[in-house]
Amino acid sequence: MKKNKFRSNKALSRREMLTGMAGLGALSMVPPAFAQAAQAAAAQAAANGKVLVILELSGGNDGLNTVVPYGDDAYYRQRPNIGIPKNELRVIDDHFGFNPGMAGFERLYKDGKMAIVHGCGYENPSYSHFTSMAYWHTAAPNSGNEYGWVGKLADEIAPSAPPNYLVNIAARQSLAVRSAKHVPVVFDDPNRFMREAFAAEKDALNAVPEIGESENSSRSFLLDIARSANDASALVRDAWTKYDSPIDYGVNDLDLQKVVALLDAGMPTGLYYVAYRNNAFDTHVFQNNLHRRLLTYTSDAVAGFIQDLERIGRADDVALMIFSEFGRRVPENVSLGTDHGAANAMFVVGNQVKGGHYGELPSLTELAEGDNLAYTTDFRKVYQSMTQGWLGHSDSNKLLGGNFGTFDLFS
Amino acid sequence: MLRALKFMAAASALAVALTSPSVLAQQDDLAPIANGDWNYETAAHLLERAGFGGTPAQIEALAALSPREAVTSLVHYDSSNNAHLLPFEHSGIHEPGLEPFPPSRPATTELAKRTGEALGVRVKPEGNRRLQPVVNKFFYWLRASVLETNRVAYWWADRMVASNNPLQEKMALFWHGHYAINESKVRDYRKLLNELELFHEMGTGSFRDLMVAVAQDPAMLSFLDAGVNVKGAPNENFAREIMELFTMGVGNYSETDIREAARAFTGWNYVDTDFVVNEQQHDDGMKTFLGHNGNFDGIEIIDLIMEQPVTAEYISSKIYRFFVREELSPALGKELGTILRDADYDVATLLETLFLSKDFYSTPSMGSQIKSPVQLAVSTYRKLGLKDAPGVPDFNRATGALSQSLFRPPTVAGWAGGRSWMTPGLLLERGNFARDVLFPDINFIPPDRINGSAEIRSVADRIRQGQDITSATQPSSMSEGGIMAESNMLADRDEEFNTRYGSFRGWQMAIERVKPIPRHTARINLSEMILEQNIETTDEAVSYLLARFMRVQPGSETRSMLIDFLSQDLGTSNIVDAQSYMEDSLRLVLHLIMSQPEYQLS
Repeated sequence: MKKNKFRSNKALSRREMLTGMAGLGALSMVPPAFAQAAQAAAAQAAANGKVLVILELSGGNDGLNTVVPYGDDAYYRQRPNIGIPKNELRVIDDHFGFNPGMAGFERLYKDGKMAIVHGCGYENPSYSHFTSMAYWHTAAPNSGNEYGWVGKLADEIAPSAPPNYLVNIAARQSLAVRSAKHVPVVFDDPNRFMREAFAAEKDALNAVPEIGESENSSRSFLLDIARSANDASALVRDAWTKYDSPIDYGVNDLDLQKVVALLDAGMPTGLYYVAYRNNAFDTHVFQNNLHRRLLTYTSDAVAGFIQDLERIGRADDVALMIFSEFGRRVPENVSLGTDHGAANAMFVVGNQVKGGHYGELPSLTELAEGDNLAYTTDFRKVYQSMTQGWLGHSDSNKLLGGNFGTFDLFS
Repeated sequence: MLRALKFMAAASALAVALTSPSVLAQQDDLAPIANGDWNYETAAHLLERAGFGGTPAQIEALAALSPREAVTSLVHYDSSNNAHLLPFEHSGIHEPGLEPFPPSRPATTELAKRTGEALGVRVKPEGNRRLQPVVNKFFYWLRASVLETNRVAYWWADRMVASNNPLQEKMALFWHGHYAINESKVRDYRKLLNELELFHEMGTGSFRDLMVAVAQDPAMLSFLDAGVNVKGAPNENFAREIMELFTMGVGNYSETDIREAARAFTGWNYVDTDFVVNEQQHDDGMKTFLGHNGNFDGIEIIDLIMEQPVTAEYISSKIYRFFVREELSPALGKELGTILRDADYDVATLLETLFLSKDFYSTPSMGSQIKSPVQLAVSTYRKLGLKDAPGVPDFNRATGALSQSLFRPPTVAGWAGGRSWMTPGLLLERGNFARDVLFPDINFIPPDRINGSAEIRSVADRIRQGQDITSATQPSSMSEGGIMAESNMLADRDEEFNTRYGSFRGWQMAIERVKPIPRHTARINLSEMILEQNIETTDEAVSYLLARFMRVQPGSETRSMLIDFLSQDLGTSNIVDAQSYMEDSLRLVLHLIMSQPEYQLS
């Protein structure tokens, strides 16, 4: 039933796409040689061939009602009305259970493919979505940086800035991927990643831009961007046209299907950045049904993603890191929701991940200022676990502003 | 014909200019350029950077002056030049009870439950949804302030297009990126407008005075939560940003300096749109700051910051990067800092030196800047000879799609600028912007009249059909909107209020009271523009358009492609034969020109 619904949606979007492309005719199709070149480039993109995908849960996910510490009575004392009873949870051990909506996470955890890192946060937490998210985006808490940490990571791993190394699927570029050297491929709907042109203009507009031999380095840069736009938009649209998966991602794929489509098409991308958008997790009022639904969508999409990676034979090459800009306050509020908080759980998912709990559990009785969980793990330690442990990039000092150590997350 | 020849000459002069030793002045040399090196190209470069570019007639007028006269006319502008610019026309949406505006809807309803009143609205004594009018008022101000801020942004965009003192606007744009305040936090268009007027008035004056004014500006005080910085519990955010982002840059002070400065700023706050010092919350004790001891207040802290040579280097280097080049050597940064400090932080003096310098007209400086989205839109309108920013396409939507929304900088650090303006998708989007200007969308829907949420439109329909609030606000679908609707449906069980109804009612009241943005399209007549030059061939027409619209010329392949395109679309290479029907073809070719990478350069 679900599968049928999914297929019909997909069929519709492809039909729309074909309509959209009709005006562009053969020009929009990627020549096979192009795709082969992309495949070849893929091999050299990341030093160790690993791919990192980052999923942002915007709005401040309530970690305590995501991975519920049912074994701690203090949880139920703090949340007499919105605390989830043990018999409704998806129990994973003698202390924790996932939110009832998270069948996908339960399966991934039980298959040993999910690491849960507890108590992630930073000193002097900001309760502003905007400020805290900027801290996470730049890996610079209580400070800031004009470049994002994923952008800086790309600069350090691939300083020659090969095209299409960094992909951000979003309506607008995230601060996280802002880079000094790389041109992040930013797109939302692959079918709209194109020039809006009148029929008469199509040949002229799609002409391959000249090679920038100019003394003007800005002009050379823009000509590179123009070529990248021509290449990437064609690659992305072609990858999306070819993508046809039987895997069910649920109601909202969180753009993870596009990641698989690009991986399968051989895009030479080492870093992908996607988000559950629009502050969705900001659950101040009557949160339980809404939060459960948000988590169901997230869990379905992540589980579908891992399955889909298996299908295309890339599951061993990809790790997914999931974060939110803050957790929520420990006690429930009077509106049966929760307000902006501090420390939170992060998740790392993938075939090569050593599943289990990591980090020290924050106390539910000895709370930090404002009834919040005191953080036990600097979130940059998880970043470093990904850059060092997964991507094999050893130096974190410039990237993260220090050496935070790593968790041994990967086999 | 004479004029046409002049422009052909100008176009070929540019090709020469890039290699000619007379214009290839020395990089990093701040000595003024010689009168003999002043020409159409240098004048055009000055107008691009000190303003937003202009028409050939405007450039010629500047070229006819000496370099010093030209720079003086821009830097020491005469405010009486702008009698045609009207002050911002308020819609009249603010009411006394709205201030202080609570930080969130829950905070508003808690206040109302506790005190029986919030936002100037009393809780109903009896009956259903006693808090509904309060919630409606909360959403009203949320929407109204956003819509009115968009009007302020439009008013500013019109000034950028129409002002005879373009540097005043350009400098305000610089300060807006430097003191990067976001509407989503401040939630009061009045404070944002007041701050913009501060930039207009003080932008080229003393940086020290501007810093003091901004530190005492309610927009900034609200943005950086100054209200929570009180004696005994200092909040370091405000002091940290002043040093890290606004004056010295990271690494030039200690954490102790931040804590001590925070103490000096305690008690600084605002009431409505006025700065106040709450004396009883101010810590008047001894502080040690940057090696000095005293019972400093905030102004004394700023003056101590201004004594640091690094402050002058930091701000003058940032101004340099905005107006001249992305990269500068530490030695040049020091030199600029000395100039600014010796001039008592007078920004106009620094700008005069920069705009006259050989460095400003050296090869690495000319045509090497990537236009910001606002710069792109404004310079497009100026070069087309428009008198204001058209209502279609929507200025805020268009620049926002290109990643720069006025009054919505991405973080407190402002816009990164330079190459970060550009992504492959955004380059395509810049071409789409040009198309929307030259061929306005006939199906355009004004975003300030029709709200974008299908759910709210659906609530509006159901309320009009006579449904009760509970039925009308139930989710209409399982779409994304439906997800959010679930929480509102549950919230309705409270019966104290219904947030979805409040959101709908807020929109409705805001649209009723906020004045509409005029939605005229650009009046463009490219045929007339071409015929005035007595141009005879498609080759000449393309050359004219390239010279008029681009500071950096595309390669010969692109040029030939454009000429071939125009000839083919007109069915002739003879402009005279095609003059009665050439408008659409000229617009297509201009769209192609504006889609080129080189059009993004200033």
